[in-house]
Amino acid sequence: MDAELLTQITDARDRALKATTARNRIERLVDPGSFVEYGVLAGESSDPDDDAPADGLVAGVGQVHGHPVTVASYDTTVRDGTQTDRNMRKLVRLLYLANRHRWPFVVFVDGDGARPGHPWVVPPIVVYNRGRFDVYEGLAELSGWAPTIAVISGRTLDGNAGLALLCDCVIATAGSTIGSRGPAGPDGEATIHTRPVEALAADGSVDLIVDDEIHAIDTVADYLAYWGDGFGTDEPSPAHDLIADIVPDDRRHPYDVRRVIEALADAGTVLELGERWAPSMVTALATLGGRPIGMMANQPLSPVAGAIDSPAADKAARFVELCDAYELPIVSLVDNPGYMVGPDAERGGIARHHARPLAALHHRTVPLCSVQLRKAYGLGPFAMSGWGASRLMPELRLAWPSVESGGMSLEGAAFLVKRKEIRAAGSPEEARAIRDTYAKEMRDPASGVSAGRTFSFDDVILPGETRDRIIALLGAIPRVFPAAKKHPIDPR
Amino acid sequence: MDPRLIEELAAVKAAQLDEARPGVVAAVHQAGRLTARERVGELLDPGTEVEYGSIAAIDRAAPEGTRGWVAEAGGVDYIGTVDGQTVITSSTDFTDRGGGYGAGRLERLFALAQEHRWPLVLFVDGGGSRARHPRVGLGHLELNGPFGRYQLFDGVAELSGWVPTVAVVSGPSFAGHASLAGFSDFVIATGGSSIGMGGPPMVEAALGLALSASELAGVEMHEMTGGIDLLVDDEHQAIAAARRYLSYWQDEPAGPAAAGAERIAELVTDRAGADGPYDMVPVLEALVDEGSLFGLRPQFARSVITAFARIDGRSVGILASQPGVDDGAIDEQAATKAARFVELCDAYELPIVAVIDTPGCITRFTGDDGTPQSQPGINRWHTRAVMAHHHRTVPLFAVQVGRGGGLGPAVLGGMTGGRSTPVLWAAWPSTDIGSGDGFAAVRNQHAYDDVIAPAETRQRISRLLARLPRQLDRPAKKHPIDTW
Repeated sequence: MDAELLTQITDARDRALKATTARNRIERLVDPGSFVEYGVLAGESSDPDDDAPADGLVAGVGQVHGHPVTVASYDTTVRDGTQTDRNMRKLVRLLYLANRHRWPFVVFVDGDGARPGHPWVVPPIVVYNRGRFDVYEGLAELSGWAPTIAVISGRTLDGNAGLALLCDCVIATAGSTIGSRGPAGPDGEATIHTRPVEALAADGSVDLIVDDEIHAIDTVADYLAYWGDGFGTDEPSPAHDLIADIVPDDRRHPYDVRRVIEALADAGTVLELGERWAPSMVTALATLGGRPIGMMANQPLSPVAGAIDSPAADKAARFVELCDAYELPIVSLVDNPGYMVGPDAERGGIARHHARPLAALHHRTVPLCSVQLRKAYGLGPFAMSGWGASRLMPELRLAWPSVESGGMSLEGAAFLVKRKEIRAAGSPEEARAIRDTYAKEMRDPASGVSAGRTFSFDDVILPGETRDRIIALLGAIPRVFPAAKKHPIDPR
Repeated sequence: MDPRLIEELAAVKAAQLDEARPGVVAAVHQAGRLTARERVGELLDPGTEVEYGSIAAIDRAAPEGTRGWVAEAGGVDYIGTVDGQTVITSSTDFTDRGGGYGAGRLERLFALAQEHRWPLVLFVDGGGSRARHPRVGLGHLELNGPFGRYQLFDGVAELSGWVPTVAVVSGPSFAGHASLAGFSDFVIATGGSSIGMGGPPMVEAALGLALSASELAGVEMHEMTGGIDLLVDDEHQAIAAARRYLSYWQDEPAGPAAAGAERIAELVTDRAGADGPYDMVPVLEALVDEGSLFGLRPQFARSVITAFARIDGRSVGILASQPGVDDGAIDEQAATKAARFVELCDAYELPIVAVIDTPGCITRFTGDDGTPQSQPGINRWHTRAVMAHHHRTVPLFAVQVGRGGGLGPAVLGGMTGGRSTPVLWAAWPSTDIGSGDGFAAVRNQHAYDDVIAPAETRQRISRLLARLPRQLDRPAKKHPIDTW
């Protein structure tokens, strides 16, 4: 072959390889030697001397811990990481492969939206045939079929932000921003409006905030491990030895439920999602006996003492859908006073939001093991373990000896009985003392045994027995990926 | 048979009727309310009512002072028809121990609704399961119930997306009653009533706040914040609204165009001109059959309009921008209103007509100075609507009326290559999408199927609808309808 032809290609490729930001990220994520790049020569123009390496987006297929993954990265050193029809078609190519083979999709999205002079990029109000599979559709189709992960590390505008917010998991580096150009003003210039990723994390639109890009990439690899086979360890955590000491002796004292999660999970395998929003509901991925699972838990340490408010209900519902889609058994840790009540909660729509986790649990098919650590009142137990009758029941419903349940809390019941005395009390402290004294009198000291006697639970066990019990039951239920996607994962 | 058995039965049944308790009925009427039975009587077509558990229901035969705990007390339950279509209805009786629901009867009827795909209308005012003696109430709930039998709430979850579920709230509705309403597709409330997870006594116990039911969770607040779908004046209007909602579950063979439909173009004013933003409601009224536009959540997130309507008799869902509110910008609440509506239409096989004139999406938040802020931008509430559109399979007709900025058109009309190809993406000549007008967009980009005159739109949609029969014969439900 004419040597000139070969040189043309290698020269063009050398120029394309100058999108080093993007390449360095991908190199760190994928297993060495596994990356197959798509469209390395695709430039902004068809000019042989095109000076936009890879058109600002490096894309391809690689492996992470030996599992296939599609991965793409914008490169802000090339045309500010902007989107063009051509680089979007690279993404479409990857999304086709991801949907076809059930491969995860990872995208580093920082960039400035549509490239100036390249309108019609996103969203395409362009009528096309179904055969043309565009980026947002590809992401929506992949949702619930294979993980979709976005990394935000820098300013992310418009269409780039849209990519991120259609992904199941958004990992952002501290100090990054998400925003929009907004409509052009009278002078034809658009004002750029951004918000810090920390603010979006507090609203549930960003799942994880990490220190820097290296941590972000390592977190992507960790997240993918739950989709895969875990971390190759089934060792209990050292914290397991102290599991019986976590729930305080005083039934009204708070504790950090993260300690229970840490104690139950395999050592070093817990990845909390959504730490910055809905603090009364903790959601985390982990492995248990080597098996990837999802854990959701009420947080007694939160300002509302573990009550389920609208954000907590939304967070739980979304997490159940995520676990259901990825065939992750759910371990639910229950300690809540019920759904949140009061004028603020009602204004926040709790009467409608409360149904979301119940509906999500009702329609799931993954195994569910619930452990009632302490209390659950009103509709509280159902929010965490479903109603359990018509469609599915929880696979295993356990309780610890500190269990207490009922239509309303002991304090609430005590208030109703002693209402007159409490209202006549001289001070709020006195009123509370009357209520709490009566509540204490009413507390059934053998609540744990009676919960077992009435078969309200499958068993009431010692905290130290919990881990092995759940591992044993899950061992009987293999992870099976169905032939078709069950449902998308609702972004909110 | 011993005739005394027949007589005794007749006497027990007679004691359940309103005629047997004139004092109570008078008090109910005095309060401007209907009794549990009157509500059912007004809802159902006369002569079609079949009552279930009539004597399991109410323990009125027992002497005063000896009425103990009766599991199924507190309401009446029926199968009947509404405009000829079978429905199941349950009406709580707030005069009977606060209207605690008869869970057993309802669970039984839920199973029938599921099996036969019968819609559900629940009158749910009351305070949840009745408070028992506190010590008894401390018992652990019987979590391990029998499998295969609907429990009250998972029954509503199961029916969601399979049959229309309507809740009517015409009094205080708290705890379990509010939960039933919260699970329903369509919540109608009468002015002055309230819906909340915890009633005033529980709120006083938990938070030390002494509030009336209305102060705590009034439906006037819910009307603005999305907690209900429709606010009406009284129970007559509520029942009429329930009947109307159910009417869209069926199609009519034909329907009249609106008076003045031919002048629809005049209703869209020039934004750049002196007239300012226009009101989309008259535009929609001119597009659909005369008097058929039925708004859902009309006061919540008003920059997006969600409504049922008919086009030539065919039931459709209308999802439209409202340029008259926030200039038509789509905030988080408007986006989730759109998403839920897409799920609703998809579940019940209602084709969607999207009418678009929006500058795009905005995000609302509290600024550093504590004041409410908004600016262009998106978050997951917006992509939730895109996700819902992608997965719908009902036909979609999109009409671009004016602007279509950012992700806005995708929130209202979805993307054009989702699981279901839109049947029509049309533009009016007033289209303004930044780079050139609608004509240019079609000629240069094939951005739309056609640019059409506003007055042509109704016929264009109607002709296509005639080729797309409603697919209500699916063997299983597609998905539940998200309650938010």
